[in-house]
Amino acid sequence: MLESHEAHDGRNDLGLNNEHRDVAGDRQTGDRPQADRSLADREVPVPGSLAAQGGSPAAINQWLDGDVTEADARRADSKQVDMWKLVATETERRKRMVTPAYVAANIMAALPEKTLATQASASLATATTTAVASENERGLSMNAAVAIGAGLFALGLLVGKLIF
Amino acid sequence: MSATIPWSAGVSAPFVRRYPSAVKMTETATELIEVDSDQDIISRVIAGDRDAFATLIGRYSDPLYRHALGMTGSPDVAEDILQTSFIKAYHHLTEVRGRFDAWLFRIVANGCKDWLKNIRRTHLSYDEDDQPSGFASPDEDLDRTELRSDLDSALSQLAPSLREAFIMKHVEGRSYEEMADLLGTTVGALKMRVHRAREALQALLEEKYA
Repeated sequence: MLESHEAHDGRNDLGLNNEHRDVAGDRQTGDRPQADRSLADREVPVPGSLAAQGGSPAAINQWLDGDVTEADARRADSKQVDMWKLVATETERRKRMVTPAYVAANIMAALPEKTLATQASASLATATTTAVASENERGLSMNAAVAIGAGLFALGLLVGKLIF
Repeated sequence: MSATIPWSAGVSAPFVRRYPSAVKMTETATELIEVDSDQDIISRVIAGDRDAFATLIGRYSDPLYRHALGMTGSPDVAEDILQTSFIKAYHHLTEVRGRFDAWLFRIVANGCKDWLKNIRRTHLSYDEDDQPSGFASPDEDLDRTELRSDLDSALSQLAPSLREAFIMKHVEGRSYEEMADLLGTTVGALKMRVHRAREALQALLEEKYA
């Protein structure tokens, strides 16, 4: 998961795989043997960790996920509830953060004046020009081959006359 | 072209809060809302209405900015990633298949991960790179608590996938289902990531705050 999230191989210039990278990444990870994955990549509680022990961390997680009431969580671990409520004051504040106004203006200013349709037409025109040039090149090659063939034929006739 | 969606047809209040510029109340405001779909706007941009792209920026920049800020811990970097991502999105609008918001989210999320991978500084707190921007109220700029710095420090020590899950859940306020949709993984896997992130943060913060 982590490795494939950060992999650069096979990405296009948007940083995405052709097939949605995150989806593919997770699925690929799912196919790999557990032993090959890094510790951070395993979606199971690490043995000996707080989550694996159950009890109060489980109750705190359930409360933070909205599955049980605060009173239930307090019965399990009151100090942890207080700590997470403190953390929540900061996360709630961050939820209200907005993009600075100049960012949108900067983005719009950085966009090219010509439209995407024009860009597409330009790309098409370039592709057509390249195709025509390629065609011309092929035509030239054919002409050259015919000329060389004719020259060799004439040379052959001349040599034949000289010998016989 | 716009779609008229009955208020009772599953359009949630959070959607309206998150995308206010996309929502126009009709005369029967409590009954109906009108929303220009992303696809409509994209079609207009591709057809030459460059300014219509501003609607998409207004619609998605805030949650994506919060994501980038949470992942990088730096307002400057978050702004850069956001700008780069929107510009890339503009140039590749014709390639959008499926949901634009999910596609755009992946561009931003990958931009954040690339930055995290490339940067040599593994710890960058708001205090080190303090920019007075982004808070809804100016008063909040002045309220720089120790907790804020400690939380940033703790978040910077999490693996990117755990940090991403925690930020999406607790800072962006997304549901597990929405997270699963955006990241292309299962609700169970994301719950586990969030739980492990909380566990790690708890270990880092409890000595001081619990």
